[in-house]
Amino acid sequence: MITLLLLAALLWPLCVAGSTVWQAYRTPAASRDYFPLLWISASWPALLLAFSGEVQWTIDAWMLGGYWELNTLSRPWLAFTALLWSLAAAHARGYFSAEQRKAQAGDQGAQRRCQRLALLWPLTLLGNVLLIIAQDIASFYLGFALMTFAAYALVLHSGSNEARLGARAYLALAVIGEGLILGGLLWVAGSAETLTLKGVREGIVAADDGALMALLLWLGFGVKAGVIGLHVWLPLAHPVAPAPASAVLSGAMIKAGLLGWINVLPLGVDGLSPALIQLGNIMLVAGLAAAFGAALYGVWQRHPKAVLAYSSISQMGMLTAMVAMGLAAPDVWSLILPGVVLFAAHHALAKGALFLGTSISEHMPRWPQPLLFALIALPGVSLTGALAAGMLSKWSVKSALYEMHHEGLIMLLTWAAIGTSALVSVCVWRQWQQRHSGGSDAFQWGAWLTALIAALVTPIWLPLPVGSVEVPPASEWLSLSWPFPVGVMVVVVGVLIGAGWRRHAVVQTLPAGDLWWLYSDLTLRGLRALRVIARACEKVKMASVTFSLALERTLMGHLKRGLFAEAWMRHHGSGLMMAFAVILALLLMWEGLR
Amino acid sequence: MNAAWLPLTTLAVSLVAAGVIFLLPEDARRLRTSINLLAAVSKIILVTLMVGRVSQGFEDTFSFQIVGGVEFVLRADALGVMFAGLSSLLWLCTTIYAIGYLEGAANRKRFFGFFSLCVASTLGIALAGNLFTFLIFYEMLTLSTYPLVVHSGTAKALAAGRVYLRYTLTGGVVLLLGVVLLYSLTGDHSFASERGLSPYLNDHRGLLTLIFALLVGGLAVKAAMVPLHGWLPRAMVAPAPVSALLHAVAVVKAGAFGILRVIYDLYGIELSVALGVTTVLAIAASITIIYGSLRAIAQQELKPRLAFSTISQVSYVILGVSLFGPFGTIGALAHLLHQGLMKVTLFFCAGNYAEELGIHRIDEMDGAGKRMPLTSLAFTVGALGMIGLPPIAGFITKWYLGVGAIQAQRYWVVAVLVASSTLNAIYFLPVLHRLWFREGPAHGKGEWPNEQCLGRMETHGWLLWPAVFTAVVSLGAGLLAGLPFSPLDWATRVAVGEYLP
Repeated sequence: MITLLLLAALLWPLCVAGSTVWQAYRTPAASRDYFPLLWISASWPALLLAFSGEVQWTIDAWMLGGYWELNTLSRPWLAFTALLWSLAAAHARGYFSAEQRKAQAGDQGAQRRCQRLALLWPLTLLGNVLLIIAQDIASFYLGFALMTFAAYALVLHSGSNEARLGARAYLALAVIGEGLILGGLLWVAGSAETLTLKGVREGIVAADDGALMALLLWLGFGVKAGVIGLHVWLPLAHPVAPAPASAVLSGAMIKAGLLGWINVLPLGVDGLSPALIQLGNIMLVAGLAAAFGAALYGVWQRHPKAVLAYSSISQMGMLTAMVAMGLAAPDVWSLILPGVVLFAAHHALAKGALFLGTSISEHMPRWPQPLLFALIALPGVSLTGALAAGMLSKWSVKSALYEMHHEGLIMLLTWAAIGTSALVSVCVWRQWQQRHSGGSDAFQWGAWLTALIAALVTPIWLPLPVGSVEVPPASEWLSLSWPFPVGVMVVVVGVLIGAGWRRHAVVQTLPAGDLWWLYSDLTLRGLRALRVIARACEKVKMASVTFSLALERTLMGHLKRGLFAEAWMRHHGSGLMMAFAVILALLLMWEGLR
Repeated sequence: MNAAWLPLTTLAVSLVAAGVIFLLPEDARRLRTSINLLAAVSKIILVTLMVGRVSQGFEDTFSFQIVGGVEFVLRADALGVMFAGLSSLLWLCTTIYAIGYLEGAANRKRFFGFFSLCVASTLGIALAGNLFTFLIFYEMLTLSTYPLVVHSGTAKALAAGRVYLRYTLTGGVVLLLGVVLLYSLTGDHSFASERGLSPYLNDHRGLLTLIFALLVGGLAVKAAMVPLHGWLPRAMVAPAPVSALLHAVAVVKAGAFGILRVIYDLYGIELSVALGVTTVLAIAASITIIYGSLRAIAQQELKPRLAFSTISQVSYVILGVSLFGPFGTIGALAHLLHQGLMKVTLFFCAGNYAEELGIHRIDEMDGAGKRMPLTSLAFTVGALGMIGLPPIAGFITKWYLGVGAIQAQRYWVVAVLVASSTLNAIYFLPVLHRLWFREGPAHGKGEWPNEQCLGRMETHGWLLWPAVFTAVVSLGAGLLAGLPFSPLDWATRVAVGEYLP
């Protein structure tokens, strides 16, 4: 039964993708529904699968040998991923209804865009589901690659110049990431002769160069998870993608990078080499740098989705720091893991709700505006840890860190929450400035509200092991929730001061994508230098070809001269024979005289 | 029990087909097509029989003494049958494709006659049991492909043909020199010799190295290793089915297969390592891989880009061999098959674009995915496979090569592999982007260079289905690599059964 469910979870998205193609050829464009209920249902079998218990499957015929598992880690992960995909799909039906009407009215561009999105959405989902249940390297890599490359269409959707830039940044970083992952996985798999992710974790511990392998994998998955320095695609891609696509990108797909880390890095293993522990410290610093840097940079953004993208980088920075503890202080890991999963799940749903909320503020339903904006801000408030699931997830991480006496890190994480809070308030403020009323339909706000509720009550439905989540004692509530008002205050004060200084304010024009502009400039310079070198090489090559040809011509000339000599000899054959005979006779005579 | 008739009949099928086609009049189209297809199908059946025999442990041998000490030997061993299987499967696909491609063209008799001869020589190379037999078929391949390369008869084609002959005939002479030297040293040239060449190691180290250099140098011309690759991009003027066959099986692979034979059967992998030639070979292969990819990026036309991609990809086989380890060997052998399947798909698709829409340049491909969805899907599968993305066959080989490199402690090879994957992505992904994400003539912007509307579907069925079939096979070879008799399984069998160092 559960195996049937697994088959359904993997094959159903494929069937849905197939049905969109079928429809494109069978249904006339005027009556084509690109996002029917069937399309929304693509992720439902996966959602059911997440709640159906723990199982293992081994499939020998599959690639290098398939080994899939639903365990204490993959079940909650699949649950929040599939739930977010389902809600985003339902939201998409409403979000794209205007575009679909255009398509039905005969707009070719809209038809193309809808068709492309409807086809590649289920494929991206399939990749995401497969990478969660996969426990062997090949399936995991397959799921990761499928998700990464199919999501290109989600980013590119609108086809505008900004979307093309975002998609290019996304793809360029993704290719670099795939290369790093492939290199890391090959290195571990070759030295440990393993085909499973468990083997990779053990292989890194056992190998001499384990830290280098782990570094490659950390950076490779870090492209997706937005490690500082590799995060530049996030603020470029998120604002241009449609809201439901941003929701899954930021909620589900960047979590795939995190899952990658948990799957391949030897977290919480005793007896790690000093180099690995050092790598853990580097990760910790990088994570905290991202958590603070993204907040500092993100608050200056104008586009609410760019602000949210920086918020994702900041949140993933915190998660990076927590994962880093698995290497830097292995004894914490087993305590902190359920907290990390809960944190990730809550962030996925909350960030999903925030991104879906951006489309609500652009098409406001006829609700009282204070209520509407309170609801839009609510997942963000939860994200800062001030209430509901956010508070629980913060507490489950903090209590583990308390237990192992890492007060310094707790303090830094708390301060980072001020950044989160500031980002969320800036985002809501920007949404308020750019609000438009009308045009929202029931699918749109229904899915958004459901995501919001699901985010607030994450611990209730998330299939975590029993007893791994506890409610913080009342005495801790204040310590968990103070960053929120502080962050809001910071923004309000900043805005008030900024209003006076507006005329001189240059910082407001900080472009989204920060380091991307530096990278692309450097790359262009590098390419120019390469072109000069290539020109020089070409010249050398041409010169050597000319030289060889000249040499050949000279040689052939000598040969031909030889042939002339032969012809001359043929011509004067009789005379030469005579001369030869005379010489012979003379020789004989000389011999006779002696 | 030795079924000597089996390798002989398999070889004879295409030879006889070639003979019959030359005898038929030019306009007997239907009969020629039937003979072509009949021969191709019966060859697949015969090769399947051989596969069965080999997997039961038989090694059917046909031998015939020409003069004292020089024998003509055909032997169906696992490695040879692997190559024979690839060539017979792709022969069928290419024949079907060629029939569609040359619909209504001139000189079809000449084309199909030499086409069959070319495949017969490939099969001969696969089944050759000693260097003498190998050399015969190797030269026959050179000569029988020349008329195919210059088929169109234009000045450019004739010039390309001349370059092709210069390169390959010179390579053949060098190879012959190596064979003669070897024969003068040992008096034996069988691939399956029991003693091998190791007894000569102590006394004739320099000579052995020289012979190796001559043999591999001669073969490397056909395998298009840098700097002996100059003929391959020029030979792109040939019709699409010929390019497909040249790249996927016949010429390029014959060179790579020859190098496999020299290293595994003639010298033995231990001896090659003891001579230190594998390191040189690995470096040469790596240079070829990177150089081919870099040049591919610079190409503006589709077929030359694919040609440079072939130069890069075929050297994976050489790289795998030179890694000296079971994983490298399996990767090399499997890549022989996988690269053939994927590259033939890409060339079929390139031919389809050229025939149906007149597309030759990459910047003309905008939006072609809408006009020709199945062809473009097949192209996508081939291109992603070349990059080495799962679940397509290319991933499997890249994986085995990488693991082999790690186990041989050659970490720079992994860097080469990753760099090559990235470079492959850099030159294939923009093409895919143009196919699927740009708007073009299919969306009402501009016009195709030369649109034909050859069939009821996106193009002529005979052109379309071979491409789709090979794409599906390359996908299946990766997705279900664990099944018995998959390319990976057979490569493992060859490596484990005969060559494990």
